Amino acid sequence: MSNETVVAARHRGVSFSRVLAITVNTLTELTRLKVFYVLLVFALLLIGSSIFMAQFTFQQEFQILKDISLGAMSIFTSLLAIIATARLIPQDIEDRTVYTILAKPVPRFEYLLGKIGGVLLLLAISTVVMSAAFLAVLYIREQSVLHMTLRQMSSAPREQVDDTLRAVRSSGLNLDLFPGIIIIYLKACLLAALTLFVSTFATTNIFTIVVMAFIYFIGHLQATAREYWLQEHSSGWITHVFLAIVALLFPDLQAFNLVDDIVAGTAISLGVFLKTAILGAFYTTIYTLLAVFVFYGKEL
Amino acid sequence: MADPAIAVRGLTKIFPVPLHRQSIVAVRDLDLRIEPGEVYGLLGPNGSGKSTTLKIILGLVSPTRGCTEIFGRDSRLVKSREAVGFLPENPYFYKYLSGEETLRFFGRLCGLGGAGLRNRMDELLALVGLTNARKRRLGTYSKGMLQRIGLAQALIHDPRLVVLDEPTAGVDPAGSREIRDLILDLKRRGITVLLSSHLLAQAQEICDRVGVLADGALVREGRLQELIAIENQTELIVADASSDLIEEIESLINRSNAKLIERRKSTTTLERLFLDATTDRQEP
Repeated sequence: MSNETVVAARHRGVSFSRVLAITVNTLTELTRLKVFYVLLVFALLLIGSSIFMAQFTFQQEFQILKDISLGAMSIFTSLLAIIATARLIPQDIEDRTVYTILAKPVPRFEYLLGKIGGVLLLLAISTVVMSAAFLAVLYIREQSVLHMTLRQMSSAPREQVDDTLRAVRSSGLNLDLFPGIIIIYLKACLLAALTLFVSTFATTNIFTIVVMAFIYFIGHLQATAREYWLQEHSSGWITHVFLAIVALLFPDLQAFNLVDDIVAGTAISLGVFLKTAILGAFYTTIYTLLAVFVFYGKEL
Repeated sequence: MADPAIAVRGLTKIFPVPLHRQSIVAVRDLDLRIEPGEVYGLLGPNGSGKSTTLKIILGLVSPTRGCTEIFGRDSRLVKSREAVGFLPENPYFYKYLSGEETLRFFGRLCGLGGAGLRNRMDELLALVGLTNARKRRLGTYSKGMLQRIGLAQALIHDPRLVVLDEPTAGVDPAGSREIRDLILDLKRRGITVLLSSHLLAQAQEICDRVGVLADGALVREGRLQELIAIENQTELIVADASSDLIEEIESLINRSNAKLIERRKSTTTLERLFLDATTDRQEP
């Protein structure tokens, strides 16, 4: 077989193995940069808060534990998404590793997919580890309260004991937590994709982080601003187009904030969960495509 | 007739300067043709357009006008890069990877895997003399070692063309000599080499042909020996000649129409002196 034939046989327009190679390398890079230290902070926060909460009633204790844990998970995964993604492209350009990679038969979109894939994998691992820690602490506390309740109510009527145990179980570990955790992960994915997009035209990672900090705050405020705008101004098509552009540039991050409902004990309906999940996946895809579009025109 | 390894036709690259009406012309109307198996040196001072030309050839920068081809294929196509290995100027690579992991990563990008990739890695690590350092992270590598692992990654997929941007920049004379020997080895294997450099003495030792760029334009091009030969002068280097013989030669020259321009002792190069003085002292 001639050299030309070997070359032709090797090359594929889209190669999952090339994307996977970049994904694994990105994950290795982020892992060896010790970004997982953020998980240690999360664990310390959990341990600290469970010691602090021993003085509350079990409903209050479980509520605060969920509030702190899910809130911390949301902040940590968002921070991790922005900080980990912001450095990837500018650092590769500064170190010229991007030249070495793209001088190989690697299309630019595969390079970006591999990079974002690595970050999403990192976020998935972090979310799973934080969730496991949170659920384990919640389960241990729940079991402890159940045993204590049984001990304290040993002489109480059977129905009363059952009611109390049901109340403990319903306010402790339950399936309603999982949709909330998935949405936290999807919000982090969205922020990672948006950071990747910003970093394709940014020259430094500091610039990317500052821009993302603005977007993060505007994203949490824009729903309120939109409602106010629609109430105060005429809702003609120009207004709607303007608001649609604003919504695309600054995603409605408040829509991903389901923690309050979970903490209050309100179950998230399947409709709300699916709508939010699809919105997260849609934004993540759109921002990744925009990043690919900008990166294709970039002079390296 | 076989396709040239590299064909550049009417290449021009203009970089606009943001917020200014002027723009920078990095490459002007450049034509190049590099045949398979040649070692071609693109020479020129800093800012003459060498790196931009290489980046356009590799599809990293798009040309304003003109076209570039690699073995007859438009170099903007990703597929054309199957035949190319590239070593950028002062490469850093991923410091957190070991030499072995670096080669595995770049091999996978080229579609290699399994035993084939492992064998290729062993072969290249031996070729560039890094077998003993294969498990060390690149963060601990010296400049010369980084250049050598860079060369190994450029060769991982057995390319027919290797593009080297300032391959010996910042490397000490011993490391520089090793890289030069590796390039000569590539030439012996029939691999086409395009290298950019502003270190003329090195280019003189390894290049078959050179092109000289100045302000983005090709101002000289040709076979090295033809370019540097002085047509009306001849050198005779004689060993163990007695002073009588030398005087006889000089008087012969004086009796003819020719003119003796210079008479001097042959010298070694400063590089040879440096290598002789330091090689034995270097750690293995």
